[in-house]
Amino acid sequence: MFDSVLIANRGEIALRILRACRGLGLRTVVVHSEADRDAVYVGQADQALCIGPAAPAQSYLDRSAILFAAEVSGAQAIHPGYGFLSENAGFVADVEAAGLTFIGPSAACIRTMGDKVAAKRAMRAAGVPCVPGPDGALPDDPAAIAAIAREIGYPVIVKAAGGGGGRGMRVVDAEAELADALALTREEARRAFGNPEVYIEKFLLRPRHVEIQVLADRHGNALWLGSRDCSMQRRHQKVLEEAPAPGIAPALIAEVGERCAQACRQIGYCGVGTFEFLYEDGAFFFIEMNTRLQVEHPVTEMTAGIDIVQQQIRVARGERLALTQSEVACHGHALECRINAEHPDTFTPSPGLITGWRLPGGYGVRVDSHAGAGYRVPPYYDSMIAKLVVHGATRADALARMRLALAEMRVDGIATNLELHRRIVQDEHFAAGGVDIHHLERWLHAGAAA
Amino acid sequence: MDQQQIKAFIDAMAATDLAEMEFSQDGWSLRLVRRPGGAAITPAPALTPSAGAAGPVPAPFDDAADTVDAVGSALAPSLLRAPLYGVVHFSPAPGEPAFVIAGQAVAAGQILCVIEAMKVFNEVRAETDATVAEILVGSGQEVDAAQPLLRFA
Repeated sequence: MFDSVLIANRGEIALRILRACRGLGLRTVVVHSEADRDAVYVGQADQALCIGPAAPAQSYLDRSAILFAAEVSGAQAIHPGYGFLSENAGFVADVEAAGLTFIGPSAACIRTMGDKVAAKRAMRAAGVPCVPGPDGALPDDPAAIAAIAREIGYPVIVKAAGGGGGRGMRVVDAEAELADALALTREEARRAFGNPEVYIEKFLLRPRHVEIQVLADRHGNALWLGSRDCSMQRRHQKVLEEAPAPGIAPALIAEVGERCAQACRQIGYCGVGTFEFLYEDGAFFFIEMNTRLQVEHPVTEMTAGIDIVQQQIRVARGERLALTQSEVACHGHALECRINAEHPDTFTPSPGLITGWRLPGGYGVRVDSHAGAGYRVPPYYDSMIAKLVVHGATRADALARMRLALAEMRVDGIATNLELHRRIVQDEHFAAGGVDIHHLERWLHAGAAA
Repeated sequence: MDQQQIKAFIDAMAATDLAEMEFSQDGWSLRLVRRPGGAAITPAPALTPSAGAAGPVPAPFDDAADTVDAVGSALAPSLLRAPLYGVVHFSPAPGEPAFVIAGQAVAAGQILCVIEAMKVFNEVRAETDATVAEILVGSGQEVDAAQPLLRFA
């Protein structure tokens, strides 16, 4: 069982993990690039090691540098955070070969879930509802593929098995376009993901993005901790998230959640994870599983009253889950705004020096951030500088609290999307709840933002 | 090409997230460029008679082959300045030939370099026809907003 953790990430999530480790009395080692040398969490760690220059490929993605830092510091476990190496099965294998604990699922689980077709097959086997379409390789015969598409019913979507995050997909409205779409997507997939395999699914027109947070230990216990709605997206990037998903019967969510927990038991999953679904007309359709901690985990922490990162570390230490499903409840409602260093209208990135910084506070307000006055937002990484999270007794209560918190928060010196969030929380459709994944982009196009 | 047609193109572009659109017909050519953040991707205002175009704007109507990017060459700025803080790249990918080299003549609208900021690559284009005299910073270097990147002859 380990008692020291190397945090192989940066920014707010490095600080979040550091806090969780502290809470458990574990020693922390932070690795950082030259660009993050002066970040506040670097100074707070028990030990900090510079692993390379600013460019991620030479630091946060450099597997041997991270393993060497673990060896030098004597860290016994590695927490990957999100992004970077968090879903890299090869890295997990390296970590284990070095005799260290990877705080996350096994390499085999990551590999299965990273292949979208294999993942879909595993989910069907576990009784998790999937988007209509085959979960095996497509036949070579074009006529046979056309027959499959016809059976699903147009529009269909052609997707790369190795893709994800909105890349490597093409919508097909009619049979005449199918052959070209297949050829193009195969070629793109071969280039982008090194895997030309594609598959076909029903294309849903107005779905919501609803996901289920799970937590599993090494002893065959798995829980689902609640639902989140992340439909407010721009270019497949989540902008604002909430828990629980509004307007969906708790019984239906419980049924899907239980199937997700069952799937975890069936595939031997350990750690935290998220099952992502499209939700349309009262039905859930599995799209993919994220085998890591997610950016938006705090909204579930707020409604479930569970420190998800501490739980993640505990199960990695081999502990048995102390909770049972009947003890997991959903209290009130939580919202999270991702505060990014980008222009609120044009989305142009805006790295640079933060000259002024005023955080909101008070009852039910939480800010996860590594930034502050005098912090220079580096141009090398993601643009998120803070997560503003609020909790309320009801969704309306949380929304009112978020409006006040956004009004209170101020960042000077760089452009941020705070103003965009202030407008979003005034939007009547969002306020009503349950908008689909295209709502935000439609709303931006319509100039409602003005 | 008449005003109606141009209006139709502007509307078509406004309805999508296209950043740039070019159309040629009967010796006319029309180029529409959407500028993020007004002057964000143009060189520093002090040195540039900016085309001042925020959002899609029709080409000036008097001469054929005019574009929104083009301003009189007499007004060419002598320095290209970084439109934002980031990492400058003078070639499309490591190992590939540079966008431009010293001594090279460039046409208005041509890519001179890209500035990488937070996983976004921002193209920096020539405002006018000009000749590159000297490149002032190394590729891959961090540059501040308004820092001179290259000098025109």
